[in-house]
Amino acid sequence: MDKKLLLVDDEEGIRKVLGISLSDSGYTVFTAENGEDALKIFLEETPSIVLTDIKMPGMDGIELLQKIKHANPDTEVIMITGHGDMDLAIKSLKYQAIDFVTKPINDDVLEIALNRAHDKIRMRQQLREYTENLEELVRQKSAKLIEVERQVAVGQAVEGLSSALRDIAGDLEGGLTYFNEMPCFVSIHNSKLKIVAVNPLYRERLGDKVGHRSWEVYAAKTGARFRCPAEQTFKTGKGQRTKATVKTSDGDKAPVIVHTAPIRNQDGDVELVVEISADITEVKRLRAELHRTQQRYQQLFDEVPCYISVQDREFRLTDANRRFKEDFDIENGAFCYGVYKHRDEPCPNCPVAKTFEDGQSHQAEMVVTSKTGEQYNVLIWTAPLRNTAGEITHVMEMSTNITQIRELQDNLASLGLKISSISHGIKSLLAGLDGGIYLLDTGLKKDKPERIIEGWEGLKTVLSRIRKMVHDILFFAKEREIKWERVDILNFADDVAATVEPKIKAKGIEFVCNFGTALGACEIDAGVMRLALINILENALDACVEDEASKSHTIAFDVHQNEKQIVFEIIDNGIGMDRETRESLFTLFFSSKGNKGTGLGLFIADKIIDQHGGKISVESKPGQGSSFKIAIPKRIPESAKATSEKPA
Amino acid sequence: MSKKILIIDDDPVVVKYLEAVFGDNGYATCSATSSMEGLDVVKAEKPDLICLDLQMPGEWGPRFYRKLRKDKELKDIPVIVVSGIDGDHAIKDAVAFVKKPFDPEKLIGLVKMTIG
Repeated sequence: MDKKLLLVDDEEGIRKVLGISLSDSGYTVFTAENGEDALKIFLEETPSIVLTDIKMPGMDGIELLQKIKHANPDTEVIMITGHGDMDLAIKSLKYQAIDFVTKPINDDVLEIALNRAHDKIRMRQQLREYTENLEELVRQKSAKLIEVERQVAVGQAVEGLSSALRDIAGDLEGGLTYFNEMPCFVSIHNSKLKIVAVNPLYRERLGDKVGHRSWEVYAAKTGARFRCPAEQTFKTGKGQRTKATVKTSDGDKAPVIVHTAPIRNQDGDVELVVEISADITEVKRLRAELHRTQQRYQQLFDEVPCYISVQDREFRLTDANRRFKEDFDIENGAFCYGVYKHRDEPCPNCPVAKTFEDGQSHQAEMVVTSKTGEQYNVLIWTAPLRNTAGEITHVMEMSTNITQIRELQDNLASLGLKISSISHGIKSLLAGLDGGIYLLDTGLKKDKPERIIEGWEGLKTVLSRIRKMVHDILFFAKEREIKWERVDILNFADDVAATVEPKIKAKGIEFVCNFGTALGACEIDAGVMRLALINILENALDACVEDEASKSHTIAFDVHQNEKQIVFEIIDNGIGMDRETRESLFTLFFSSKGNKGTGLGLFIADKIIDQHGGKISVESKPGQGSSFKIAIPKRIPESAKATSEKPA
Repeated sequence: MSKKILIIDDDPVVVKYLEAVFGDNGYATCSATSSMEGLDVVKAEKPDLICLDLQMPGEWGPRFYRKLRKDKELKDIPVIVVSGIDGDHAIKDAVAFVKKPFDPEKLIGLVKMTIG
């Protein structure tokens, strides 16, 4: 706190004594012996407290008080009064003296008066600070508010502009990626040539120049006067384009290309100017980077372990990577189908054609022939290439050589399939066994006979499934030698029918046998052939059981002959099959029966029939049942015998 | 009221098994032997939990699951997959995957954790 104090008294003794005591209290004391001197010192030193005698020759204390208060109303004046001066003392208070002390001066009373003066000074200061703060706060807030308003308005303009630019950039091929990095300084100028808004990059690189003059950011050119682009725009009402140098906030200079555009108000007057400056060095850097990226793509294009080609709508190869050129003869204007497949016309199911049609990627597996005549299995992927208008002009085709994989796969496929399928089947069987045992167990514990029966039935079902699976697996695992025997077909057919009939009838399904007369005998392996037929008959049974249509179900088992063949036909009116099921029917481990099938049955049946030199054919439609036709030659061809006798 | 569990499995032995296990632990059950049937049963019975097999004739479990999740009313029913095949990826937000053959205690534990 300011501890300057002015002591005014005409008595030297008081000045001296009081001066010393006030100095001891920490005041810088100035003294004056009359009002005129006091006023002079007061104006020079501006003490915050004045201690003055009331009665003085010349200018008295009251007059001094008035003059001091006039010169600086914040000064606190304490009056010193003698006895009987009470009227004057009261009068002084009217003139805003803070207090008065009477002679002889009591130190404590003086201290109280001084403290009061100090308190008043402090309070006034604080009050002023608050007020000033408040004013400052209001000023700041309103400035911010105005700024926000302005930014909103201008921001919308900038936003609209940059989104328009983005759109334009998006139209340029590959431009989008680079536009975001595009180093543009965007600023908005008003007609007073002051900057009213800048974009973040501007602020970051050139400094926040909002409120500054439009041309300040430009480095002054020696000689000719630099023509401020914003100013030019206001003058001419036309967008400008010029090269200039700007000063960055870290003191460097950067060459820029400046574009400006006028923004007009409703009356058509130019109200604002948008200035967009692109840093040329950055553009150069980006251009170099783009070039490097393109190079990398080229390298990738050449080095990927795929054949890559680009084709037009005629399937002409317009580009191909190094690997493609290494393995295939490619000349300008050569056609894909010619190069790849040595064909004269496009291939059926061409994935490139499909991509041209629907714009989607397509896959295909094909066998192609290299220039050295080697055949490769390739997996083809296609992708559309579009022009700026979004139309597909070319299709890129990537082909991976999977010849070796295919060869390996052929060997591994059945093995892998076998393991996964069987393990799944076994897991299900184990769950079934667990289930049966659980039911049996708890049934016994809780003495619930029906549950015991349920459990036991379950176990029996699962056990029969296990038996069947083991049979199937054993059969599959070991190439069984065929045991040829001459068999009377009628007996054989009866035998097969007798095996399945009870099962079929138990499900309430009609079983019709229709055996031709004089079927004679035939050379077959009765054991396995019986297995095959039973397998198909059981499938027919399942197909009827699965069918929820409320109709009476029938399975017909026909056996007849033509000149050379015995023909077995098994016809059901069960659920039938869709095309996909029908086509994959004889595939190893194909099962439409979920957990209940092993996927082995028909595979084995097909194999058995094949071993007999016979044929199996299927007709089926969903909901209408299926018909299996098995034709076996009456005499097994010697070749079949020969091959089958070879150990597998 | 006891919570209800829908069992979808094409193997009747497994269905009986699960019915017995859940029943013994105080849950009500309903069942379906195919996806299509399963969907009808879900709508009719509004179960608190579904115990789903993955490999079934016709539509497999995952397709059933997708249909289930498309239905606003049904999509929040928790699903426990009980299957012999490894199909973790086939059903993304199933509560649990239980591989056949399964331990009934564990299965019940999972069920209790899910629906109490």
